[in-house]
Amino acid sequence: MDILTPFQIAVTMLASGDPELMAIIGLSLTVSLTAVVTSLVIGLPMGALLATYRFPGRTALVVVSNTFLGMPPVVIGLLIYLLISRSGPLGFMGILYTPAAMMLAQTVLVLPISIALSRQTFETLNGEYAPLFQSLGLGRFARVKALVFEARAAMLTIALACFGRAISEVGAVMIVGGNIRHSTRVMTTSIALATSMGELAFAMALGIVLLLVALTINIASQLLRRSFRNLGHDL
Amino acid sequence: MTSDQTSPQAIMKASDLTLTRDGVRLLDSVSAEIRRGSITMLLGHNGAGKTLLLNCLHGLIECDSGTVSGPPLAQQKMVFQKPIITRRTTAGHLRFLCPELDDSSVNEWLCRAGMESRVDAPARMLSGGEQQKLALIGALAAAPDILFLDEPTAHLDFAATKFVETMIGEAHGAGTTIVMTSHNRAQAERLGEDVLLLDGGRIVETAPASRFFIAPEHPLARQYLAHL
Repeated sequence: MDILTPFQIAVTMLASGDPELMAIIGLSLTVSLTAVVTSLVIGLPMGALLATYRFPGRTALVVVSNTFLGMPPVVIGLLIYLLISRSGPLGFMGILYTPAAMMLAQTVLVLPISIALSRQTFETLNGEYAPLFQSLGLGRFARVKALVFEARAAMLTIALACFGRAISEVGAVMIVGGNIRHSTRVMTTSIALATSMGELAFAMALGIVLLLVALTINIASQLLRRSFRNLGHDL
Repeated sequence: MTSDQTSPQAIMKASDLTLTRDGVRLLDSVSAEIRRGSITMLLGHNGAGKTLLLNCLHGLIECDSGTVSGPPLAQQKMVFQKPIITRRTTAGHLRFLCPELDDSSVNEWLCRAGMESRVDAPARMLSGGEQQKLALIGALAAAPDILFLDEPTAHLDFAATKFVETMIGEAHGAGTTIVMTSHNRAQAERLGEDVLLLDGGRIVETAPASRFFIAPEHPLARQYLAHL
């Protein structure tokens, strides 16, 4: 395979606006961004709570969350599969082999990242702001709200870390999504399929497209970061 | 800690405050009364326990034993020696410190501090003096019953110091009780009405400022003033 061939295929696919490729990119982004947003909505307040309050079960929660950080995606995929398969406890939802199942799997995958990184961020911020919050008499909810607001630049970094993990994941979405054409096929599962079929140039081209998508999102986030920097987020 | 009864002229009373950390007694049976409407100066060398006592009176640090009674926390404000500034605009930070302020009040307070051109500037990018002024007006805007100031003019230039002292004078005139620490003798003499001198976590002398600076009674007080 000529080294330039994958690049040529990638450029041609993107330039031609191939509907199937666009659908795959769209589904990849929809699944991963939904998982990232969901994990942030759950993980950030949880990270803030873990960073600022001592309560029974806190240590256990931290240990479980950290353990999930190192959990292989295929194992998470398997767990979700058992949960949502017809005979599983959530089988009645009928979401196996749908994008919803893939979103669920990716959310479980990136939630520990969101919790761990936000806990670290909030611990630092809480150390800085605790005397002020205490002096102002802020209650638990108000403190968490203020911390989340103060951490908005760091949240962007957390979101990017979660997105990087979600968009590049293949094992879990393959298990619970099934890699069904026009339904649950995303970029990573397409790459896996193309590789297994020996279409290496096409697989590489899809990999380049994946990188370009990630690059675009990173550039956008850098632009957003600049506006935060202007509010003293780097100080 | 539980609350004690304060005498009618006292707005705050500390009884027998003791605080030990890592085997070191940082506050040792400290008892004091803060007169309503007064300016009380907490004086002492570095490490004497001034900031610690201020934090205990304000309720930021809980002592091992002893009691503090005074107005509810909502009626108390504190300005830290190094202001804690949020990642917001100047106006946003002021609103965070005093949420009941409307836009016109925010502008009015910033005008008083000579910072009207800094409304939309990031608060963390203000100069040290501007941040201290912002912290002070944020506390004063809430019209607290009692205001704790931890070396409010440390590291400030003459103009900023003058502004802070003017604002303290105005708040005092409006009936706010001020408790502040300072290493500046001239300032302590200018502003202080009552003096509490701390040494090694103990109060060694309590006196009206008018007498303290002329005729201190305790040998440590005389020694302290000789060094100022």
